[in-house]
Amino acid sequence: MLDERELAIHPIVQESVQHNARTVSNIRALTASLFGVAAGTLGLESFPGFIFYFIGTAIVSGLIYALKADSDPKAYFFRPLADLWAGDMFGGLMSFVLTWTLFYGLCKA
Amino acid sequence: MAAAAIIVNALGVVFLAHAVYSAYEHSLLPSSTATPPSGSALSRSLKPNVNLPIDITLETLFSALLLCVGVVLSSPGLKPIQWNVWAGRLEKSKEAREITEVGVGGGNPYAGLEERAGFLDIRGKRKEFADWIKKDARSEKS
Repeated sequence: MLDERELAIHPIVQESVQHNARTVSNIRALTASLFGVAAGTLGLESFPGFIFYFIGTAIVSGLIYALKADSDPKAYFFRPLADLWAGDMFGGLMSFVLTWTLFYGLCKA
Repeated sequence: MAAAAIIVNALGVVFLAHAVYSAYEHSLLPSSTATPPSGSALSRSLKPNVNLPIDITLETLFSALLLCVGVVLSSPGLKPIQWNVWAGRLEKSKEAREITEVGVGGGNPYAGLEERAGFLDIRGKRKEFADWIKKDARSEKS
């Protein structure tokens, strides 16, 4: 109830929310493949590779926070924790694994 | 901002290509064949099996970081989601107030509500038009 009342007093622009979500998911998709290239080149295997991906995703979240959101995620994301920090964390995992295995095979086999 | 992003991206791509090619060349060397790691199965799976030279490792990490910054910089800017901030920006800036198309721009987020055809005062408009015609005819006569 409190949330509904809060939304009635301070309405949210749906179009901007969608635009921001799309921008973040684009960045995530691009950087996930990039991390796959890096992990495969480094020759990481099993757990270290996934840890590398999660560290990289956290770094990208920090970059979006610092460079795009002007250190004020409340103004750009409805739920900053879910939309910026943890959101789409697993969305790029498959493309990460794809490029990871490809470049691992290129550089190691 | 855009030019800086393009430069950062180009530098990152060059460094990444160089690092990947160096790693590939290194893998062709006969001395780079990996020795089987010792220890238990768990410690073997947890230990990263990296036998690249440190400079290639550093170059890969550096280029990945550079490309991350470039991708974030070159992505379109985020838009504020609070209605008051968004509408305030729409009404304040000069380029947002420019009318580019019918129904696009103008700096009024409520334009769709204010110009509804169903609420048009058609009799008033007709009277206005008749007055205008009459005035036109009178000025022509005189």
